[in-house]
Formats: sequence, structure tokens, C-alpha cells
Amino acid sequence: MRVGSISVGRSGDKGGTLDLTLVALDDQGYRWLESRLTEAEAQAAISRVMPGVLRRYPVPGLRALKFVIEDALPGGVYATLHAGLHWQKVAIWVLLDLELD
Amino acid sequence: MEHRVIACGAGFAGDRTEPAVALAASGLVDAIGLECLAERTLVPGLRARRANGDAGADPRLERRLRPLLPVARANDCRIISNLGAANPLSAGRQIARLASESGCSGMRVAAVIGDDVMALAKYIEWQEPIIGEMLGAHAYIGADALREAVDDGAHVIVTGRVADSALFSAEVLPILDDTLDALAGATTIGHLLECSGQLTGGNFEMPNGDSLTAQDFAELGFPLAHVRSDGSADLGLLDGAPGRIDVLTCTLQLLYEVHDPNAYITPDAILDLTGIRFEEIGPNRVRVSGARARGRPTRLKVSGFVEQPGFVADIEIGYAGTHALQRGKVAADALRMRLDDLPQEDLRIDLVGVDSTLGSASLAPPNRAPEVRVHVSARCGDAQMAQIVEDEVYSLTLSGPAGGGSVRSERRPSLAVVDGFIDRDLVKTETVWERAS
Repeated sequence: MRVGSISVGRSGDKGGTLDLTLVALDDQGYRWLESRLTEAEAQAAISRVMPGVLRRYPVPGLRALKFVIEDALPGGVYATLHAGLHWQKVAIWVLLDLELD
Repeated sequence: MEHRVIACGAGFAGDRTEPAVALAASGLVDAIGLECLAERTLVPGLRARRANGDAGADPRLERRLRPLLPVARANDCRIISNLGAANPLSAGRQIARLASESGCSGMRVAAVIGDDVMALAKYIEWQEPIIGEMLGAHAYIGADALREAVDDGAHVIVTGRVADSALFSAEVLPILDDTLDALAGATTIGHLLECSGQLTGGNFEMPNGDSLTAQDFAELGFPLAHVRSDGSADLGLLDGAPGRIDVLTCTLQLLYEVHDPNAYITPDAILDLTGIRFEEIGPNRVRVSGARARGRPTRLKVSGFVEQPGFVADIEIGYAGTHALQRGKVAADALRMRLDDLPQEDLRIDLVGVDSTLGSASLAPPNRAPEVRVHVSARCGDAQMAQIVEDEVYSLTLSGPAGGGSVRSERRPSLAVVDGFIDRDLVKTETVWERAS
């Protein structure tokens, strides 16, 4: 199942740290997400695109998973070698388009 | 229970100006916050101030405030902003002058200064070594710094580096219960409001692809909040304003740019957001409650801006028509060969329209495309090196695949932002008053 078929998401950043938020549409979706999109699974997906160590924070009361990747954006948004500025706002699609069993 | 109505009129310095005017004109809003200072937008201000001591406020100040000042004055709506950027004192004088010109005589403008901590540099604990010339060092001050201006009835409060949430929560301080949890609530409301349209349906899409319409995005309403003395609030839009506020949009914005949701550090309070409750109480109306504080930080965060030599050169060349994708791939490969003496970690070559954003996590590439752009970015030690990389891309118009064109390039100067901390007791803020004649 595609992560983005049961959740919505958004990317943010502070300095060199990228943060990704997923919010499940319902409790069943949250339980699935929480059990399948583990820290290791998310780290593997993220590592295809950027450096940095990922940490996951579950927030069950809000049906949300928070992912924080330190040093994902070395030197901050202006130092990026991506085209233009603020590619990191698109980064949430790495998780939303992830297919998990 | 006593309440105040606060609204967001800007989520960045270049944000649309009409929503703030509409919110002020409604007569419903006690204060409107304009968040206009991103992490690094202090830098142009610091450079301008270095050249001219009276410069350094955001150059969009007049565009933002000329239409807003008379409407806010007529509706008794306070304006609170960090448009002062690197020079809040100068911003205060500019706003008073603008108010005079706009028929707002007697309008009182409070400039809050003290975020600039360059003079306290020796007390700052930097988290990494400073390499290069420090352009400026600014502490994130809290809502308490704006309290005097609120209590003394400023019509406009302008400052520089302040926690974004404080631009909104400051208005509520006089009615807030004397508990840290109430302050945590008001700070949370400020955090929810500070990105304007991101709370009201902007940057949002449902799993099935549903989002607001083009017309809604074009006229998106910005949010307002009825904040109660216990720090809970009802979030909403003006009647008839396009947008979407529901549990999903609120939750995404609540956690936006938060790291540990159990301990989100702001100058006013360390927030525990895990107990927040959102309740849809009507169409586009959401009640928020349950913020808790885990104490108040004893240190303030400082951003140090360090100038370093060098640039990122960012260049593109386009191909279109039959075989465009194939020609783009060949052009990219030719550039890899031409630029193979650059360190790999300082070079990125990819295809806009295929994989320039998400790299190897991109969706499966198409077999053909009506057009494609080859993108090159390189870290260059100096302007001459940047010129060489730019010229290599341009050379493809003569010596590359057929029909390469629409070349564009930009150079971004290198600049490091270094985090530091300073004991909050050392940071003394001050309120300086101006009055429109």
C-alpha cells in the first residue's frame, strides 16, 4: 500500500535539519503506518535521496508520525546543489510515494 | 472567559498583502501579526545596514504597510511585525512617517530592540567553530519583550528577530491566566498561525488528490484565532474567505518544523504538543486545546551569520520536441565528462522534469517528454570558477545535442548560519517609541 493513500504530509526545515510529518486519516491508518513505516524503513527511503540520520517520533493522540533528519541539508537551504531553492519542501513525497506491504 | 482575536496577515515578507487588509477591515481582530523574517532573511538586511546605518529594515515594509495602516487604525487593530529585520529602530521611524503620510496622525509605533547580540558575542556558546567573517548574531527573543508595547497601547509594534509565535501570542499576554500551560497554549496558537495560508488549505492535498481550487488558492483567506485566557482557542477564517481549516490542516501545521513534539523549544516555553486536541466545531472552525509547558528555557537560541568565500552556481539548459529526453540525457552525460575534474560532492547534474528534485526516489521516468531541462549545480570557490561552469553549460548550445537553449543561471553566495545559545538574562530588550505627526 502507498503511504500517501492513507495519510497527508508536509516537509519543513530548520538549518540543516529536515522534518517530515505524516498524519493518517483514521485510527486504522495510523496503526498501519505506525507498525509498517518504522524508523529503519523511513531511514532506508530517505537515504536514497539525502544524507543524515533519521529519528521517528510517534504522536498517537494526533494520528501523526514525525520524522526528523539531522544534517539532511548540509549547509542549509542556500547551500543546496538541487535546482533552485527549497527543494526540501518537495521531500515529503519520498515518504508519501513509498509502497509498503 | 476573556478572549482576544489575533490573526495572521503574512507568513513571509513577500506574502500577499490583501488578506491582512481584509482581516483588519473586518473589525473583528484585536491584533494582526505579520511574520516577515525567515531564518536567513536577516542577511540582506545586515548587508544593507553595513553599507548604510539607516538601512536594514525589510524593503517590503512600505508595500506591506501602506494599504494596511489606515484600515488597522480605523478598526482599532494592532499590527505586530518583525519587518524591522536588521534595523527595527529605522523601521519604527519609517512606519511613523508612513502613518503621517497615510492620515494616521497620532499613531504610536513601538520599536522593540535588543535581539542583536553582536556586542555580547563573547557570551555566546557557539555549537560549531566560526570560520569566516561574522556578519551578525541575533537572538530569538520571546513574547515578553513585546509586552510593554502591548500594555502601553502601541498601534504598531515592530521588531527584528523574535520567535515567530511571539508576534501573535504577545497580544494575548495581558488576559492570559498566570500559568505556564496557558502561555504554552498561546504560544501554540501563534505557531499555528505564523505560516498564513499553510493553516487554511495551502500546501495541502488529500490522498485522492483533492485540494482547494485554483480560484480558492488565488484568493486564499488567512487564519484568525479567538484565544481564551486559558490558552485554548477557536481557529477560523473570515466569513466567505476561501480556504480549509480542519483537523488535518491544523495537525500538519502544528507539527511543521517541530523536531521533538514532546519538547518544542520556544523562548517563551518548552511545549509538549503531544496532548493537543483539535475539534471541528463548525465549517472551517477548529477548537484547539491541551497545550502543556515543560518549563521555560534559561537560554535563548542565537543565529550567527558567517560570510564565506564562494558560490553555488545553478544553471539550466532546455531541450524540446521529438527526442527531447534523449538529447537531454546526452547533454547531461557530456557535461559530466566536461566537469569530471570537479569533486563529485561539489557537483550535481540531473534532469528537470525527470529526477532533479527527488533523485533516485523519483517516480519511474517517462520514455519521452515534450521538453526537458538539464540542470547543473556546482560549489565554486570563487566567481571565476562559477563562470567556467556556467560557460560549460552555455557551450552546449554550439557543441552539444541539437537545439539546446533557454539557458538560465544564478549564483548563490556561500553563507553559513551557526547556532549558538546565550543566557536569557544577558539579553536586554528595550522599547523605543515613535509617533506619527
